[in-house]
Amino acid sequence: MSTEAGTGVKRRDFLKILGATGATTALVGCSSEKVGKLIPYVTSPDNTVPGVSAYYATTCRECAAACGVLAEVRDGRPIKLEGNPEHPMNRGAICATGLSAMQGVYNPDRYRSPMVREGNALKPTTWDKALALLATKLGEVKSKGQGGNVVFVNQHETGTFPGFLDQWLSAQGMPAHLSVDSLAPAATIAANQKAYGAAWPALDFGSAKLIVSFGADFLDGWGHSVPQQLDWADARAKIENAPKLVYVGARRSLTGLNADQWIASKPGGEMAICAALVGQGTTAAASDASGVPVATIEALAAAVKQAGSGVMALCGVTTADAVECGAMVAEINKKAGSVGVTIKPANAHLGYSGLSTYADLAGAAAKMGAGSVPLAFVRGANPAHTMPKSAGFAAAFAKVGFKVSFSEMPDETTVLCDLVLPDNHWLESWGDALTTSGQLGLQQPTLDPVFDTKSTADVLIELAKKDQALAAKYNVVDYRNWYIGKFPGGVPAFTTALTKAVLLASPLVAATSRSGTVTASPAPALASTAGDYYVHVYPSAVLGDGRGANKPWLQELPDPVTKIAWQSWVEVHPSTFKKLGLREGQHLTVETASGKITAPVYQYMGVRPDTVAIALGRGHTAYGRFAQNIGVNAYDLLPHGWDASGTLALAASKGKVTVLAEVSQLATTEGSARQHGRGIGQAMTLAELLSGGADEHEHEIAGMPSQDFLPGLKSPIAADAQGDYANKDGKSTGMYDPKHPSGMEHRRWAMTIDLARCTGCSACVTACYSENNIATVGAPYQGRALSPSTWDERPGANIIKGREMAWIRLERYYEGNENTANEFSPDFDTRFVPMMCQHCGSAPCEPVCPVYATYHSPDGLNVQVYNRCVGTRYCSNNCPYKVRYFNWFGYGEPERKQYAWPEPMHWALNPDVTVRGKGVMEKCTFCVQRIREAEHRAKAEGRPLKADEFTTACAQACPSRAITFGDAADENWSVSKLAYDRRAYHVFEELNTYTAVVYLKKINHPAPAAPGKA
Amino acid sequence: MTVKKKWTMIPGFLALAAAATLLSAYSGASSSQGLRVEQPVKFVHSPHVQKAGMNCLYCHSAAFKSPDPGNASVASCMGCHTIVKTGSPEIKKVAAFYAKGQPIPWNRVHKVPEYVHFPHMRHVNAGVTCQSCHGQIQNQGKQGPDTNYVPVQQVNSLNMGWCVNCHVQGYKPAEGARLAGEKVTPELEAMPAKKARYDCSTCHY
Repeated sequence: MSTEAGTGVKRRDFLKILGATGATTALVGCSSEKVGKLIPYVTSPDNTVPGVSAYYATTCRECAAACGVLAEVRDGRPIKLEGNPEHPMNRGAICATGLSAMQGVYNPDRYRSPMVREGNALKPTTWDKALALLATKLGEVKSKGQGGNVVFVNQHETGTFPGFLDQWLSAQGMPAHLSVDSLAPAATIAANQKAYGAAWPALDFGSAKLIVSFGADFLDGWGHSVPQQLDWADARAKIENAPKLVYVGARRSLTGLNADQWIASKPGGEMAICAALVGQGTTAAASDASGVPVATIEALAAAVKQAGSGVMALCGVTTADAVECGAMVAEINKKAGSVGVTIKPANAHLGYSGLSTYADLAGAAAKMGAGSVPLAFVRGANPAHTMPKSAGFAAAFAKVGFKVSFSEMPDETTVLCDLVLPDNHWLESWGDALTTSGQLGLQQPTLDPVFDTKSTADVLIELAKKDQALAAKYNVVDYRNWYIGKFPGGVPAFTTALTKAVLLASPLVAATSRSGTVTASPAPALASTAGDYYVHVYPSAVLGDGRGANKPWLQELPDPVTKIAWQSWVEVHPSTFKKLGLREGQHLTVETASGKITAPVYQYMGVRPDTVAIALGRGHTAYGRFAQNIGVNAYDLLPHGWDASGTLALAASKGKVTVLAEVSQLATTEGSARQHGRGIGQAMTLAELLSGGADEHEHEIAGMPSQDFLPGLKSPIAADAQGDYANKDGKSTGMYDPKHPSGMEHRRWAMTIDLARCTGCSACVTACYSENNIATVGAPYQGRALSPSTWDERPGANIIKGREMAWIRLERYYEGNENTANEFSPDFDTRFVPMMCQHCGSAPCEPVCPVYATYHSPDGLNVQVYNRCVGTRYCSNNCPYKVRYFNWFGYGEPERKQYAWPEPMHWALNPDVTVRGKGVMEKCTFCVQRIREAEHRAKAEGRPLKADEFTTACAQACPSRAITFGDAADENWSVSKLAYDRRAYHVFEELNTYTAVVYLKKINHPAPAAPGKA
Repeated sequence: MTVKKKWTMIPGFLALAAAATLLSAYSGASSSQGLRVEQPVKFVHSPHVQKAGMNCLYCHSAAFKSPDPGNASVASCMGCHTIVKTGSPEIKKVAAFYAKGQPIPWNRVHKVPEYVHFPHMRHVNAGVTCQSCHGQIQNQGKQGPDTNYVPVQQVNSLNMGWCVNCHVQGYKPAEGARLAGEKVTPELEAMPAKKARYDCSTCHY
């Protein structure tokens, strides 16, 4: 076995010696730990049980959608957010951004008290002094009669607060606030208003037959991602009658990758395609403008015609003619007769009313620049980051007499201010918001403020009380009392409504309507700009415009398309990459007339060869330790110009690309973008499914035996536990004994993942981080010592080393388009595969562990015992799925430099899950703590577990409902039915690992607008 | 040559093992059995349990419904002690904490490591008496707070072997009752030992 020629100890001897020493050292064991304190309550709050979670219904405020969430509160502190299953809009689902609110409320860089400018720096002060200062300034402004020139920039929000704020401003003699959201699809809204008479008609994915998306990324940021994704996945799950999706745009976004066909139009070419579809232009002209073959446009026209009223055309383009293009897209729907069928103006969402535009903000900035603004307030918005440099916001803002920020965190705008009155996080505040389905979602605090902060509404009331003229009007203790005072039905109704946090109502006071008159200052026409490449700037699917960048979960969550974390990158088509003679990660400078950025290059076959694409979201200069100096701000590339609705045009310029010599390694979690015939993410065509002709056990690796396995249920060990393989003469089978009183051996915890539903959004990944105390490893301070004096401070340094810890990762593979380096073709298929520990029935990791730290439990879990693990990493080496993760550093140990949860971020740790130490292997546990919790609950209630009574964190969050968890050995659980689906397969089933995770094959639909089809 | 070289490594390993053993002995055992910690207030269980006849759940109110048994809030102490024994110096300390609105910073005595999950309610609901793990806690403080005061101590080792022993051999209700000072009836004697799961993930996750 081993060679005699080698020096030193042979493997077998080594193990013997190791065994002897191991036995001795094991005696050391666990020495007595330092005992801590046991702190009781002073007075026990009602309805709390120590060590048991309470759930409070509230409304998520991370984006404009306002999903219903349940905050899991343990001993007074929220530890996790989950979607509220009773909420009519998000129906239990939640996205990565929403989940990450936990790292917002416990962010270590939050302001801990009010701050006031002293010279060049903001210094802590007290609330009394801060409010007195502001009251003086307010008095000065009013006495000089300058109230009309005050500017209040607020993040766009729905609900009652905007109206409350406008009332306050008008009482002070100040104009209504500006309600800004740089991610709001304002161009689409303006076009919708014109075409349908409604800002945001309901989209009925279920009735659609053909969806044509012109840059409308409805799965990754456009509109309301979570409810749209739920509806989309439900519609696609119909398989036979599933709507087909055609994506038109210069870059294939996450939504584009979910499409059945990509029509790679030049930026700005979408308009001509729409015109051809509605007969207002010729296909030849459309082909000229978009670079799309005439045959494809004709086929698209035919497909649209064939789909009839099942057409759903959506517009999300970001060029300077976005509103006109939106109107043209609406024309497609009108012509097809789908208005009222797939697009329902009657059920419009009102959440965008009162939205101010970029042009409004630019107008305010111009006034500031002219020196006529004596006082400005900023709350929740960050124009210094989200306005291009060419807008000159910082310089204009500097001319404001007195600048006040209500920001929770230092950001680019707040650091320019004179006074900071930090707001409470939404998890600490009262409030409400409109949901897309027309209800008012209530928001209640889930903990006392972490720091010395105050809710802005309360601050406004306090300020009003200081003013004798207003004191009578604001004769309430705080915003909560003011709110209840206005609430229909008063205190009892309010208390009842809070339990569900949803009610049918409109905001309690209406916001002042802001007329959308936009002075035309259009962005320069795209074609007229100089440059070799179109520059396509898009909001990041994870970080948006950059507001999520201060949360390590979101920084570490690989971009769903490129799989890059903690970095900015420039996407270039492989053929362009080859033409420029680039190396992966080589730095490119992209320069437009407005500015330039430099970032490493990433080859992406989903971008046109004449286009380079850059995501927004990074490049912060001030936004806390997790955001600062990471990546570049793509807003810098944009001209200060807007479309007819006043929206900043993101796809507005061409640019020059310069290749630099420098190369940075990409912090990517992607090994290979191709499957190399391994059959990890499998698909079948609809025809194959319907005919039943496909061999379900066909193997992609030739020559491998086909196992006649039963999906999901039986495996050597589970079957043994059920007595099938039991040694009939044996006396004891221990805990695997079928008669064991625990009854465990009758269970087989299993999971199905439906690839026809999965969109690759990655919410499951963040849910797992939140539930299982998974450390983020990519922050600059978490690198490693290169020598005693130097530290590897590259963001994502550990990820470059392959040391990310995500127990569940979203693998993304491409199929087809093998010759992409030499030619451009938009036809390729994408497979998204959530990959986590497969809980093999016959697990390769188990027999190689020298210390039995991993073993198979009788109920079918592959268990990792942290306290047994000595860190040999043999298990990880032997795992074919590569789902075991090693703690290279003490990410979980506060005294170490790499500690992942700087105070108070560790308040969000789940007390039911061990925080792993250095040198320990970890992996997906199937949320064993949730299994145990459910078992405890059932036992306490004296009943067996009910089918589908609980689920794992990933399945709970999943906005496409692709993941199902449960007991495959009990036919009452949904998973036991799904595991026998015709599409079921196991990854690497030829290895006979008998996995407990069953994947259901993706269904590939034929391209709806394939030339020659019509 | 290879053979010779191989065996020369063994003394090295043995030396390592010896050093580890020494360290282990020096660090003082692997359990905090017998641990005694002075407390901010010299609490006495005995008068509460034996004289006042209070049930354990009066203060440790979540022991049957939560992994964490809970501890009396300062307000519940003061529920009685605004009337009872108000002159005692120890009670005055409690009253002072209450007046300041501060919790009493008890020092923790029983603690299993963080990678162990011990659900109290499963044990309590299975009928395991408190004394089975916590010793004769009802007698603690019999001497009173003044002379020869003995604080709560950890009676059992709480080591894994100690836990697993009960999970495998089973809990004997009669033995538990005897430890609790309850009457051991023939019915209890006749009850079979109650076994529990003992695979690692029962407690370690």
